[in-house]
Amino acid sequence: MTNHHERIDLVAPLSGDFQAVVRLIIGGIAERVDFAFEEIDDLQLAVERLLAEAGQIGSVRLSFEVGEASIRTRVGPLSEAAVADALRNGDAPPGQLTLRRILQTVVDSFGVEHLGDGAIVVRLEKLKGLS
Amino acid sequence: MTAPQRRTAAASERAREEDRALLRRYHEDGDTTAREELIERHLPLVRSLARRYAGRGEALEDIEQVGAIGLIKAIDRFELEREVSLATYATPNVVGEIKRHFRDKGWAIRVPRALQELNASMSGAIERLTGRLGRSPSIAEIAAELKTTPEDVLEAMEVGSAYSTVSLSTGPGGDEELDPLETIGGEDAEFERSEHRAALEPALDRLPPREREILRMRFEEGLPQTQIAQQVGLSQMHVSRLIRKSLSIMREELLR
Repeated sequence: MTNHHERIDLVAPLSGDFQAVVRLIIGGIAERVDFAFEEIDDLQLAVERLLAEAGQIGSVRLSFEVGEASIRTRVGPLSEAAVADALRNGDAPPGQLTLRRILQTVVDSFGVEHLGDGAIVVRLEKLKGLS
Repeated sequence: MTAPQRRTAAASERAREEDRALLRRYHEDGDTTAREELIERHLPLVRSLARRYAGRGEALEDIEQVGAIGLIKAIDRFELEREVSLATYATPNVVGEIKRHFRDKGWAIRVPRALQELNASMSGAIERLTGRLGRSPSIAEIAAELKTTPEDVLEAMEVGSAYSTVSLSTGPGGDEELDPLETIGGEDAEFERSEHRAALEPALDRLPPREREILRMRFEEGLPQTQIAQQVGLSQMHVSRLIRKSLSIMREELLR
């Protein structure tokens, strides 16, 4: 059993070459919380889509706070200009897919922290057994 | 020419005329059902071409899906003044799309055989466990079913899934505030859609009908992968791959 609020930090290049590595690490962390295959896939997809918005240059910090039945992930700093519009208030009309709609589907909650200087951190929370 | 050869030639000519009629309906009248019909009519061609590239570390279904993108592009770009048949015109488009896919995803051939085999057997294991447990299995359960380690299962999950990540909707920056914490089911204020969001529609349109339907079921109806897999008759792993790959294809289309 995992102790509550264990934390894992990772700094990864934004380059697409490393995104499979990020997925693998997310899978490993989620496996420790005994997430189901589909829940792991959801969390991986959420992070993957988010990183896709951030571009390919530089690096990003991923922080995983691991609870007994949840994983809270913080991803950032990300460029507000690149990510903000995709997460803005309001639902996309039917037939359109936005990052916001995808996150609403695959994680249990998400939010944004403003760091200043046009940078943000996005929080994603995935709970076990609710999907 | 023998009688069977004459019959084959006549059937080919008929098919070619039917294609041209459908192409006219699509390009001149904007009839999208004609486009769908053209896609369906030529999917056997895509499957046949895709089989040539099987056994190179990619699931045949995935190669077929990439090939279908080439077919759709050929249908969309076909000029009615052309004297060639759609099949002739589409073939290099389909093959080109598949080759480009293999070139871009050159990593696939570097995947160790043992992992490829584990990946291939995972799909069946997940289906069996889902049926037995009535829920999506955990990695530990999949590992036990396949008599391997959770770490190997996780690695095998990545086989065939390392597609480039892509943006779905980006737009010009603005001064609207983002929610401090969004929760599913929360009340959201309306906002005007950006030009970039509008531009996503043609990208979605580039996908084969099955993939569009899978995205609709997942992100509009909110159905879980297990349920989608049952409805479309694919494995859950395959549905997962199609979702990720479709999103990547949409981005590539947006960036062109």
